[in-house]
Amino acid sequence: MDFSIIFGNAARAAFGPEAVILALAAIGLNVHFGYTGLLNIGQVGFLLLGAYGTSVSVATFGWSLWAGVVVGLLLSVAFAVALGIPTLRLNTVMFAMVTIAAAEIIRILIGSTDAIGLTGGPLSVSFDAGAFYDLNPYPDGPHDRYGIGTFEFTGQQLWVITVGWLLVALVTAGVVMLVRSPWGRVLKSIREDQDAARSLGKNVFSYKMQALVIGGAIGGMGGVIDAIKTSGADPNGFRPQVTFFAYTALLLGGSATYLGPVLGAVLFWFLREWIESFLRQIVEEAWLPDVVAEFFDGAEGVISVAMVGVALILLMLLRPQGIVGNRTEMQLDAR
Amino acid sequence: MRRGVVLVGVALIVLAAWAAPGLAQDEGEPDQSEPTVLTGTLRLGFDQFFAGVEITAADESGTRVGQVTTDQDGRWTIEVPAAGDYLVTLNEQTLPEGISLREGHQSTTEATVLQGASRAVVFAVGEAPKGTPFGERAAQTVFNGLKFGLIIAMSAIGLSLIYGTTGLVNFAHGELVTFGAVIAWYFNTSWGGLNLVLAALAAMVVCGLLGAGMETGLFRPLRRKRLWIFQLLVVTIGLSLLGRQLIQLFFGPEPLPYTDFQVQQRWEFGPWAVTPREVVTVVAIIAVLVGAGLVLQFSRFGKATRAVSDNPGLAEASGINVNRVVLWVWVLGTTLAGLGGVFQGLDTDIDPFLGFQLLLLIFAGVELGGFGTAFGALVGSLIIGMSTEVSTLWISPELKFVVPLAALIGMVLLRPQGLFGIKARVG
Amino acid sequence: MPDELTPQADSEQREAALPPADGGVPAIEPAPADGGVPAIEPILTVPHEPGAPKPDPILEVDGLSRSFGGLLAVDVDHLEVQRGATTALIGPNGAGKTTLFNLLSGFERADTGHWSFNGEAVTNPSADGLARKGMIRTFQLTKSLAKLTVIDNVLLGAPRQRGEKLWAAPFPNRWRSQEEANTERAEALLERFNLAHMRDELAGTLSGGQRKLLEVARALMADPVLIMLDEPMAGVNPALAQSLMHHITQLVYEGLSVVFIEHAMDVVTGISDWVVVLAQGQVIAEGPPWKVIHDDQVIDAYLGRRRAGAAR
Repeated sequence: MDFSIIFGNAARAAFGPEAVILALAAIGLNVHFGYTGLLNIGQVGFLLLGAYGTSVSVATFGWSLWAGVVVGLLLSVAFAVALGIPTLRLNTVMFAMVTIAAAEIIRILIGSTDAIGLTGGPLSVSFDAGAFYDLNPYPDGPHDRYGIGTFEFTGQQLWVITVGWLLVALVTAGVVMLVRSPWGRVLKSIREDQDAARSLGKNVFSYKMQALVIGGAIGGMGGVIDAIKTSGADPNGFRPQVTFFAYTALLLGGSATYLGPVLGAVLFWFLREWIESFLRQIVEEAWLPDVVAEFFDGAEGVISVAMVGVALILLMLLRPQGIVGNRTEMQLDAR
Repeated sequence: MRRGVVLVGVALIVLAAWAAPGLAQDEGEPDQSEPTVLTGTLRLGFDQFFAGVEITAADESGTRVGQVTTDQDGRWTIEVPAAGDYLVTLNEQTLPEGISLREGHQSTTEATVLQGASRAVVFAVGEAPKGTPFGERAAQTVFNGLKFGLIIAMSAIGLSLIYGTTGLVNFAHGELVTFGAVIAWYFNTSWGGLNLVLAALAAMVVCGLLGAGMETGLFRPLRRKRLWIFQLLVVTIGLSLLGRQLIQLFFGPEPLPYTDFQVQQRWEFGPWAVTPREVVTVVAIIAVLVGAGLVLQFSRFGKATRAVSDNPGLAEASGINVNRVVLWVWVLGTTLAGLGGVFQGLDTDIDPFLGFQLLLLIFAGVELGGFGTAFGALVGSLIIGMSTEVSTLWISPELKFVVPLAALIGMVLLRPQGLFGIKARVG
Repeated sequence: MPDELTPQADSEQREAALPPADGGVPAIEPAPADGGVPAIEPILTVPHEPGAPKPDPILEVDGLSRSFGGLLAVDVDHLEVQRGATTALIGPNGAGKTTLFNLLSGFERADTGHWSFNGEAVTNPSADGLARKGMIRTFQLTKSLAKLTVIDNVLLGAPRQRGEKLWAAPFPNRWRSQEEANTERAEALLERFNLAHMRDELAGTLSGGQRKLLEVARALMADPVLIMLDEPMAGVNPALAQSLMHHITQLVYEGLSVVFIEHAMDVVTGISDWVVVLAQGQVIAEGPPWKVIHDDQVIDAYLGRRRAGAAR
């Protein structure tokens, strides 16, 4: 058994573009849920609009990639506004249901054969993200690799994750500046008790809307990175469980903490890939009786996602505040 | 109409395999000299072949690699540049009048072809339902809607009652439905090959035990710990993921049918053409629901359930053993959910996502009727099932699930307490 | 969770905590001699009857009603609340006191009726809009923001904060000076309500009584013109209750108008200038406390029922 391969793979996943996308989705959720208490379980809808906004603008309308990025972000903002106007007055559970239903509706519509002309429908859509890779400063020959062992990236991948993690850093800094201000204090007061905030003259609807738009746009950025990374978008990549993964990352790291969503996303992908690699090695090295090995063979991905489920349950039971969260704060929730 | 004549469908698939005789050998030993092709034959039954139908192949990135029209024997062949995954699309506009893809079949399918191999791609075509008069189609969709609504209702009652008595919104409820379908499949096939009726009964028992286990082993202790509602929600989401993956691990990702009741002659009742299987489904669910309704309405257990839903503290104080009531609610709910899964599996075959696909529809039904009431869940689910199926009269079947989701959103916005809920209950 | 945080414990504590009534003699403290504040005297000339007009009303209500499922919870023909006075709103359980508060402060929609606040007609009442105009209320079940620190709780109350605007929030230089001034004021309020030592604790760790004080401090931070307290003494221990009563009487001298809901008659007679009695949603009596508590109708509707309750 070669643990350097396992850890290399895990590290590559932990710092790869998937982790960037998950981190952005989770930061958005942190603004929604962590600070404002909005239980958005349709975050994947924002990612979808970011990704499809970018892809369709370039692939179908022939606009430049940068215009596409702007369109993707605008679409996720528009979704936040459209979703928020009728729903922000609802209670937590009702709001949650509407968000997941709305995200599913968009996915069904975009992925239908009727939409082939616009979005590619079930065929998915692809475009040329050359404008992004033209800026790549890393030499990207067929043999250029960066990293050690299995922890290595091509020049293009390295460029995507450089930009991606820079974006994560910028967004995190922005969120920190916002929530440290009196504005952030109002958000937290809404999370704690919106009637108290109203009784002190805060326009709760307006603040919730601002939070929904900001968190949604951050999720949209994740979608844009996803589109650029894969040079396209596929409706199957935006199923409801993407949102649940983002919540796992957020809760793993710690809700309503500055670095929680980022650490959580890194850890999420590290653990998932570690488990998958580990199982693959076990199967390859024939440590196990054939029957068991056969059972695991090809099911590594399925098992690692099952572990996400286990992680969610254990987290809620054992450490609901996450890695960097504050235990006392969490206990005050038990009302 | 949903399945067309099942016999013919099976025959078609057999024929398609026969139509590409070289398939097996070619896949086994890739041969550089042979061209790599996608191929197929468009036919209905043994004597109808469709010419002039446009078929397009595209590679994974969506780039078109070839387009042909079928010849007079309905045959088509597209040579592709390399091995790989391709998306093959049939242009429905070019099908002859009165012929269309069969319901549930997409105009685009994915096909993997090996180097030098010939891969057969099957498009199942049939008499277009549009050929039948609107009234008849409407009658048929209403029946389908009734059947689908009843399946949702059966699965929904547990979700609604559990919410009513404990306030838990169980995202893992869909997996309970899948679990019922899958366990019945095992009893039906590898574990003794029981007749499906017996297999379904056995699955109900297993589901009930699982429900009892979940309540006593997990949710009761969690209630005692007074977890915040959000934590409970996340626990159920985790359970849902775990359950679905475990089912996929053991059962596999591919849809599989039960061994019984697959091929049946349709009975004609006026405008309806239904299989005995479908009739049994509808009658059995109605019988079970009436039974459950009577129990909930008149038995001590039913009254206790309502009392606990109303005010658990008061119920406890007036001598009702709340934990026991909740336990039986779980048992009843999971048993019904599992049975709902069996019927859904009978209708569409069983796959690990069967229940998860139903989950949002179950939510929609429960919300429509008003959370926490069994009767509301029944009526709401029927409306959801009916509107989903009837909508296919006007919109593409691919989009039919938009209808119940939109209904869910509309209901939440306009009347969050549901049709039969009491306003004060909703915060 | 500590027991004292639960509502039941609150009410038990209240019954036990309050000092016995001292005979029903009104204990109105005289207004300060300089008369810089709207005086209490004018109100003493007002007729002691429901709907009596006041010389300088801060709140005027007309035809206000609200029903729940056919049951009329609030049905107020006419009511005026005098500026610069302490008005107690009393009545038996279920009389509609809190509902009236909710309607006036925009937390619930009225079925009929209109009202004016501070000389301005309230069209389209919204809770936050009314609060920004200076009508600040507190809640029967305290709404302390558990996961915010005590000082943040109070700071939240400050009105017109520049840093609460999204575009200014990321730039501390745009709001730091105001925040510092607010912090100073908030600290003074904490001092005044004996909460200074808890400044940086999470509000969720406070005792029930301390939360009541915190809520009043937070309300004062909002620069109210009219402050509406829903059972401010409930769950507060005797020593704190005394000081809270003192604080409330103090508010009037600072120019505020106070309306409060209270069950304990000694508190009512101790600090109110004027009492409005609500029963079954209607104003059945108004007058100075010493007059009202001897009113037969009031005794029937309220005290009578209370005695019966006490005897049981």
